[in-house]
Amino acid sequence: MSHTPSTNTEATIVEKVIDFVDERIGLKLLAAKMLNEPVPGGSRWAYVFGSVLLFIFIMQAITGVLLMFYYVPTADHAYASTQYILHDVDYGWFLLSYHFWGSTAMVVCVFAHMSQVFLWGAYKKPRELIWLVGLALFGIVMGFGFTGYLLPWDQRAYWATTVGVEIMDKTPVIGDFIARFLKGGATPGQMTLSRFFVIHVMVLPAALMGLAGLHLFLFRSAGPAGPFRGTPEELKAKTDYFFPRQIWKDIVGMATVFACICALAFWEPVVLLEEATPDPGDYHPEPEWYFLFLFQLLRLKMFSGELGQFVGAMALPGAFMALLAALPFIDKDPERNIFKRPIALIGWVVVMAAILIFTISAIINREFLD
Amino acid sequence: MTNERESMCPSQLGLGILWPAFWTGLPIKLVFVLLFLSLGMVHFETRIGLAFLMLLASPVTVFALPTITFGLESHIGEGVGIALLFLLAIPIDIWALGVVGRTFFLERLKREPQEGLGLTLWWKCALVGGIFLPILWLAVSFTTSTAISTVHSLFETDLLKVVPVAEKISIELVLWGTVATGVLLLLTVAGFWLVGKFIGGTVESARPASENYQGLITRWDLMRVPADQGLMLAALTGGAVVLSLLFWSSLPVFTPHPHECCKKPEVKAEPAFKPLDTLNKDEKMLAQLAVQVEALEKQQAEAQAANSKSKGKGQAGKDAVKTPAAPAPVPPDAKKP
Repeated sequence: MSHTPSTNTEATIVEKVIDFVDERIGLKLLAAKMLNEPVPGGSRWAYVFGSVLLFIFIMQAITGVLLMFYYVPTADHAYASTQYILHDVDYGWFLLSYHFWGSTAMVVCVFAHMSQVFLWGAYKKPRELIWLVGLALFGIVMGFGFTGYLLPWDQRAYWATTVGVEIMDKTPVIGDFIARFLKGGATPGQMTLSRFFVIHVMVLPAALMGLAGLHLFLFRSAGPAGPFRGTPEELKAKTDYFFPRQIWKDIVGMATVFACICALAFWEPVVLLEEATPDPGDYHPEPEWYFLFLFQLLRLKMFSGELGQFVGAMALPGAFMALLAALPFIDKDPERNIFKRPIALIGWVVVMAAILIFTISAIINREFLD
Repeated sequence: MTNERESMCPSQLGLGILWPAFWTGLPIKLVFVLLFLSLGMVHFETRIGLAFLMLLASPVTVFALPTITFGLESHIGEGVGIALLFLLAIPIDIWALGVVGRTFFLERLKREPQEGLGLTLWWKCALVGGIFLPILWLAVSFTTSTAISTVHSLFETDLLKVVPVAEKISIELVLWGTVATGVLLLLTVAGFWLVGKFIGGTVESARPASENYQGLITRWDLMRVPADQGLMLAALTGGAVVLSLLFWSSLPVFTPHPHECCKKPEVKAEPAFKPLDTLNKDEKMLAQLAVQVEALEKQQAEAQAANSKSKGKGQAGKDAVKTPAAPAPVPPDAKKP
């Protein structure tokens, strides 16, 4: 009878479990492929936005599921159940406020991520598909914000949705259908709430998961673009693997965003207005802050009237989105350095300045309404 | 390439060191912010963006904040946590400036970083910030308020009074915003220039590095890797667990009340008109009134019956007839629509 001599390097239980899984699904190879991706020019803080967005989405899903344990998506109980979460459920105020500010953080990070990709010229060949899928993800994030805003069923929610649906109504051909489909009746009511709820918790998360997976797959296929300047000597000297430095930066980025969202939840916890009714009273309806610039734009005289409203609400944003989608196919110059692409740089500055100016104008405009 | 780096202007030098140092220290400072918020030691006012900037730029705002708060009476919030936060920021900033400074000296300046570089850079930055930032604050505040009033009075003239409100707001904002942002940017660049000039001596006194570029990159890269990675990982995990437990144990179960200083303006909405409730109330009122009318009719009928019975009984019987009781008042709630 032969005995295997015992050695000090005997596998621990964790290692045995890992080996067991590895034998069946090739875990170690998968991990190596995921982590050993070379990052041209080395890790950078500018690259953390994608991972941060994934983190925010996961946190939104977790807090959203916890909120759903108490939330009742009916016109009779939505408001009361939200008030119950805010005032009676232990830590309910924090969960709801985190979820609310998390949605804001998601929009901010999407803007930052898109700006980084645009300024770095990372949408150019061979990364056109990544850019296009990213644009679709941007639309989904906006959809999350729009559908989630109605759920508390207070005056703010009701009227923001009414304004938003009216804007959609101006879309030629399909506008009327979309508006009727979303509202499910002449005025927002139970059908609207049910539809927004289903879109918010079922349709959009599924779409986002699918598209985010595709986005990551395309990104790994094409590889990171790397910095837009630096000599080949510098890039070679600094090139590093995804693990550990970029992962470390991503973790720090996630922790920073988490702390910021929590701090905002403390600074301004969610407070509901009166329950939704078809009478706005003294309340001046306005959409969520990231749509404020568009809302203010529509107040300009040049966008008054049926045609003006259509141009301001649909034609301009539609043309802008179409331009963004066509960007990799229009801009075929391989130059990625933003300081050597003056049109792109000026265009980005103008768009950001316009969004900022009209958003602040909308806030100042509140004084004239009160 | 080397000459370009060696001839770096003071504003580039100041920006190149301060900007990454701001962000390097921020995540650690934010952990303390969160902890103090959950413990109720800090209450930020409505200008949270300003509070964020102050904390982000704590290597230069640490001495400037007391001057701005007490001297210029411009608060960012209340609570003992704010002072504590900026005190805690000092060692964090010294560490952050040290990490960033060593990297910057090796990679960008090709010079050997000295011992205690973090502390040297910190006191120089804090001193410049302590003197320059209150001046910047005053200048920008004065320029902004003057620009706002000038632009506002411009739009009060008869010629421009006809401009619609939405257009007027945006044009006014662009006009005074451009002036204010221009002055702010100019002074910020001047601030970076001052910092760069002040730390220029430290750069001059550093020995040039002898290695080639690859060697320098490897050095600063390895500088960021802890000597004992296991210990570092264990310490970080332990710290994260302790902080998470502290946070959850101090997190208020119900919505914390804002400090007196930091109450948000209440968004008022007209009392809601609830058609169903109103109909129910009206129905109740009608039912009550119907009961009262019925009671009155019954009383009247009884009185009439008693009257007709007592007709033949003479004068004595007349005294027995009583006036019907006054109807009970309708409850005020029922009268409301």
